[in-house]
Amino acid sequence: MDLTYTAEEEQFRQELRTWLAENIPTEWTVPGYWATLSDEESFEKRREWEARKTAAGFSGIQWPVEYGGRGGTPGMKAIYDEETVRAHAPQTVNVLGLTFLAPTIMAIGTEEQKAEIIGPMLRNEVIWCQGFSEPGAGSDLAAVATRGVLDGDEYVVNGQKIWTTNAMHGDKIFTIVRTEAGSEKHKGLSMLLIDMNQPGVEARPLKQMSGASEFGEVFLTDARVPAKDCLGEIGQGWRTAMLLLSFERGASGVGQYTEFRRQYDEIVAEAKRFGRADDPVARQELARCLVELECLRYHAMHILTQVEQGKDLGSESSMTKLQWSEAFQDLWEAFEHVLGPEATLSAPRPDVDLSPFHAQDHWSRSVTIWGGSSQVQRNIVAERVLGLPR
Amino acid sequence: MFFALTDEQQAFASTVTEFLAERFDLEAVRGVVEDPAGDGHPLTLWKGLADQGALAVLVPEEHDGLGLGLVDAQVVARALGAGVAPGPWLATVLAAEAVRIAGSAEQQSRWLPALAAGETVGTVALRGEGGAWDGSGITVDATSAEGESTSRLNGSASPVDYPAVAGLIVVAATDASGTPGLYLVEAGASGLTVRDQHTYDGTARVGAVEFADTPAEALPNGDAAAVRALLARGAVLNAADLVGVAREALTRTVAYDRDRNQFGVPVGSFQALKHALADLHVAVTMAEHAVLFAAHALDTDDPGVEIAVAVAGSKASDAAWNATGAMIQFFGGIGFTWEHEAHFFYKRARRRAPLFGSAAEHREALAALTM
Ligand SMILES: Cc1cc2nc3c(=O)[nH]c(=O)nc-3n(C[C@H](O)[C@H](O)[C@H](O)COP(=O)(O)OP(=O)(O)OC[C@H]3O[C@@H](n4cnc5c(N)ncnc54)[C@H](O)[C@@H]3O)c2cc1C
Repeated sequence: MDLTYTAEEEQFRQELRTWLAENIPTEWTVPGYWATLSDEESFEKRREWEARKTAAGFSGIQWPVEYGGRGGTPGMKAIYDEETVRAHAPQTVNVLGLTFLAPTIMAIGTEEQKAEIIGPMLRNEVIWCQGFSEPGAGSDLAAVATRGVLDGDEYVVNGQKIWTTNAMHGDKIFTIVRTEAGSEKHKGLSMLLIDMNQPGVEARPLKQMSGASEFGEVFLTDARVPAKDCLGEIGQGWRTAMLLLSFERGASGVGQYTEFRRQYDEIVAEAKRFGRADDPVARQELARCLVELECLRYHAMHILTQVEQGKDLGSESSMTKLQWSEAFQDLWEAFEHVLGPEATLSAPRPDVDLSPFHAQDHWSRSVTIWGGSSQVQRNIVAERVLGLPR
Repeated sequence: MFFALTDEQQAFASTVTEFLAERFDLEAVRGVVEDPAGDGHPLTLWKGLADQGALAVLVPEEHDGLGLGLVDAQVVARALGAGVAPGPWLATVLAAEAVRIAGSAEQQSRWLPALAAGETVGTVALRGEGGAWDGSGITVDATSAEGESTSRLNGSASPVDYPAVAGLIVVAATDASGTPGLYLVEAGASGLTVRDQHTYDGTARVGAVEFADTPAEALPNGDAAAVRALLARGAVLNAADLVGVAREALTRTVAYDRDRNQFGVPVGSFQALKHALADLHVAVTMAEHAVLFAAHALDTDDPGVEIAVAVAGSKASDAAWNATGAMIQFFGGIGFTWEHEAHFFYKRARRRAPLFGSAAEHREALAALTM
């Protein structure tokens, strides 16, 4: 066991810390600051800030330098995740592009795609959406019905995508489209990179249970996309999608732990303020949450070790997803249980605003659905890790 | 970053596991379980463990030990838990830790080589009936007459592992001022009574030890901190045993449910079982991580060591409790029989879960540390 980072990695931490200290306004560190802004204001502020961060060399930490990245180590990425949370840096606006699309392009994209897509994405000049889910295709992603028909050197695409994060801000969308008429399931699919700024693409916001509209619907009506804007081969969309989804498997647990642990402390502070911190049942419930969060931290170190040793995480990432999403959701259930009726009020006292807590609380219901629901993850663990029959 | 066992540590684990599989398998365990009047301390097993250095792990090299840390010791504890192996391994290791942490040079030379070689069986008596596992639950008093090096103990401690075969008992006792300390009592000392308590966990033997003006030798550095250090080590190594129990129970259950057919298909293809077993796999894996981290935290005096120990203690006992309950359920009727091995795992998990602090006590400790 050696739970330290290298000297070079610690040096990186210092540089990043210094930059963050100079570039995060104090008001951003007030809990719930971002919830006070409109969706639009929040998005634009974050877009601009993140572009500056990129210019300062603090984006694409692990990406090769040739693609505008920093060429750093997995340890540096973990440090980056931890320090940005600590400093109250805002969340990225290009999450789907950065997490999924960019690494897939680096792995299997054409030289032209690499040159045209990655830089503008890092600078937030182009915001990317993920167009996988459809009304009839959620967990069963291979049921997509959106069709693409070749017309000259372009595909003409018709169909509907749903639950599309950043639909109203998106410039481009990577989609799974059935390009082979009459094909079924995993066959005949292609990953088309569609320009959203065209008459055939209409995005409509969907209001979430929290009241925010971070996702929406995308209607494709004779939308046009050049055939060369296919990632991976035509007809191999399933394979491309699986590769793309595998990039969720990283060592992001260190940052998640830092964030959730801070939330734990904030919830404890409220419990104290409302005189609930001495209740033995409340203490048991909160401590139970802490146990799971600490386990997430250890697990993150385990995963980082695997990544550094070049091991394929494979289905183990399903376990990671279950641990962080369930622990996070449980933490917010504890918030409700422990505070009781006061937890339901945005302003239970003149000096208390619980609405940022409600934003997290409501968000916590989504994390066990997207990115492969908990039920789907349990199927994967049971079948591929434990080897139980289908 | 290296959060894993080294090749040497993995090899050590395999050695113990293979030894148990070859020389002390479940049939041998059954022999001990079905002989409740026996001392539960088979010498073949004991000698084999001693030969592999399993008793010497934490003993410094100058006292004929291996001089390793708790990360190595938890490797052995996990293997013993997985094999539901009987015997006073944990008791002896903890007695040696007490002498290492708090004993004089003379006491260390006298006891450590014998404990490391398995020539002497040791045990620890750290709390009394109904007491907490934090040093406050001690029900033995120590007095020492002016100018005398020998102390006198009065009171009792329970449950104590393997007191009947122990040559050396490390006792936590409070002095006239209420300060806890650690004392050595040798088998056969006057006023020492060992009362068998008959636990349902046939892979262990436990008893109460009672002291009536029993002569004892104080460990000079046995203060409150030493008592806590010993309890923390006990908690982590006990958690390691529980994690071994949990993993093995889960592995056996999965193997059975892959093969057992009902309704024309393997029962393991039913989603109700799959999801329960998947959740258990996650829980057991997290408990393994937690034990590893806590052992490392103790080895390195990590500032968060108290949190780490409490997390490991609570997570491991919950995981073992749940995995062994599931084992009986998901084997069906056969899992409820005496003939089947499920009850070895189930009973071991339930006997050990409350030792060195129950899951709830560890959670209360976490609340106290963070709230
Ligand atoms: C906040 C948020 C953001 C999202 N962003 C995007 C995005 O940007 N792009 C995008 O493409 N999609 C996005 N999604 C969609 C998300 O991927 C889907 O919601 C998810 O895949 C589940 O599909 P579904 O909603 O159709 O539910 P269903 O698949 O209909 O599931 C309904 C219920 O059935 C369960 N279930 C389904 N299959 C099984 C099974 N085999 N075994 C057991 N139980 C099963 C599920 O777990 C769930 O509880 C987002 C969703 C949310 C909530």
